[in-house]
Amino acid sequence: MQEFIDLLREKLVEINEKPKRCKRCLMDETAEGIVFTETGCNYCDEFLKILDNPPKKINLSLEELVNKVKKDGRNKPYDCIVGLSGGVDSSYTLVKVKELGLRPLAVHMDNGWDSELAANNIKNLVENLGVDLYTHVIDWDEYRQLMQAFFDADVIDIELLYDNAMLAVCYQQANKYGLKYILAGTNSSTEGMILPRNWNWFKWDKKNIKNLAKLKRIKIKTFPAIGTLDKIYYEFVKGIKWISFLDYLPSYNKFEALEALQKQFNYKPYPYKHYESVFTRFYQGFILPVKFGVDKRKNHLSTLILTNQMKKEDAIKTLQEIPYPTEQELKDDIEYFLKKMNWTKDDLKDYLQRPEKPHKQYGSEISLWNFFKEIYKKINK
Amino acid sequence: MIKTRIIPVLLMKNRGLYKGIKFKNHKYVGDPINTVRIFNEKEVDELIIFDIEASKANKSIDFDYLKEVVSEAFMPIGYGGGIKSVKDAENLFKIGIEKVILNTHAILNFQLIKELVKNFGSQSVVFSLDYKKTFFNGYKVFIKSGTKKTSYKPEDIASIMEDLGAGEIILNDIDRDGTFNGYNIEMIKEISSNLSIPLIACGGARNLKDFKMAKDAGASACAAGSMFVFHMPHRAVVISYPRYEELKKVLGEN
Ligand SMILES: [Zn+2]
Repeated sequence: MQEFIDLLREKLVEINEKPKRCKRCLMDETAEGIVFTETGCNYCDEFLKILDNPPKKINLSLEELVNKVKKDGRNKPYDCIVGLSGGVDSSYTLVKVKELGLRPLAVHMDNGWDSELAANNIKNLVENLGVDLYTHVIDWDEYRQLMQAFFDADVIDIELLYDNAMLAVCYQQANKYGLKYILAGTNSSTEGMILPRNWNWFKWDKKNIKNLAKLKRIKIKTFPAIGTLDKIYYEFVKGIKWISFLDYLPSYNKFEALEALQKQFNYKPYPYKHYESVFTRFYQGFILPVKFGVDKRKNHLSTLILTNQMKKEDAIKTLQEIPYPTEQELKDDIEYFLKKMNWTKDDLKDYLQRPEKPHKQYGSEISLWNFFKEIYKKINK
Repeated sequence: MIKTRIIPVLLMKNRGLYKGIKFKNHKYVGDPINTVRIFNEKEVDELIIFDIEASKANKSIDFDYLKEVVSEAFMPIGYGGGIKSVKDAENLFKIGIEKVILNTHAILNFQLIKELVKNFGSQSVVFSLDYKKTFFNGYKVFIKSGTKKTSYKPEDIASIMEDLGAGEIILNDIDRDGTFNGYNIEMIKEISSNLSIPLIACGGARNLKDFKMAKDAGASACAAGSMFVFHMPHRAVVISYPRYEELKKVLGEN
């Protein structure tokens, strides 16, 4: 196992110390299309603009939004959906939504990689808040095969599977109960910095998932995929809106949110963002840097720097460390990953050595998406 | 340690976990290895795994996969499902199973329990008494994952199994399985009062108070499936286990 850890350390030096870095944030030349500007870079310039004026799907104040959700949800068992991963953003969203008097149905997606922390936090939250929960459990064997297909294809965004399914289940549940609002923990203050195109992939790509599955003759039985046309149907025919709820709050500070959650709900924090799933932390903390040369912390830490939640020197120091609290925890995750995926160490070595291939190579609906987006823009001019 | 053991029960089939109601309508609830890992971190003292197809479909035991599951677990595991011979039990102990749990083949062949006890000691041989109310004849013992009725009454088979040397009996009420209606307290009282070996209550647990009631009725341990897997009303899957202090408090132990 030590060789993998050494490999990660080497790789982190290579991708974090050499490339030219923005003078304000942590974004550097590993990000496709970075342009260094007078003040910083295009990523942080753009982020600050968004932060000042988060793009809201519905241009209302918090109070107006809450009243609208209540009114539209009258006589229904719930008035909104909250997607719950167990992480801070989604957990805090659920707490606030409930506090404001809304009647949410919490929706969780189980892809076979939930950590005890996630399970514990979800259970505590829904129980203490008295919120109903729906869990969509994807058959692990099916999910494992899909993951294997993504690994075999050498595409970067393995998490496309989880993210796409989570979107699908939220819309499906909203549709089932005739609800118009999905209040999500997505937000500008910690997620508003756009990820470079070469760091992940477009999340609505049902075609990409289906094609990769077809390539391996995988039968999709329990995996709920969602694509561009489904989105158009849900949004425009059914009128279901995905709302980045935390952007409506007067201020959203992750550390304050965490403190509130810990105090009131016995919430257990994660050392890093999105570590509620064992795979997600292994993917972000190991696979992405080692195989794809991407250290996602740069993006996340940059948002903390720009929102004055962290000093730049401290953030740079963080980048020099492996994205795990201890080497032992990384070793445990590698072993667990190998066991869950039924891989040998050599399988992992082989995978890490193979060059990346673009998602597009396997067929994608991103151009369809862009086509509709252009039409939408024109109509709404 | 808590004196009254509180044991999660996992039902396995084709390497997946399932949960049913009254032994029927099994719904997929997740991956055994990940679930065991979550229970590890919750510091569960003991776990029971039943393969719900092995006996019913007359399949052989999936030793390879069980080995994987056991190697992930920090806690001792009792396993039931398709155990037909001393050799089966021996192989299970080899891969790290702590207790073998018998139902179908213990009833089809009384000698089997005897031989197992002779070879491995009674502390590692458990009998799972699955029972159900029948239309004309009151409570009857069932085998093959609740699909086949026998002519035995629960109290009779309990005492037979004790005489044969079984170390523990899991008393599982099929009609309450997965219903969240509470344990069958009357039956626990009746069976435990005539037994000197430990009795594990199973079937129907909905909350911590049920554990206390089962304990007061004479159970030495309480097993539960749905309660540790589902959140109501949608039967949403979320693995849980009460905290040590909560259990101590409810059970009145220090
Ligand atoms: Zn910058």
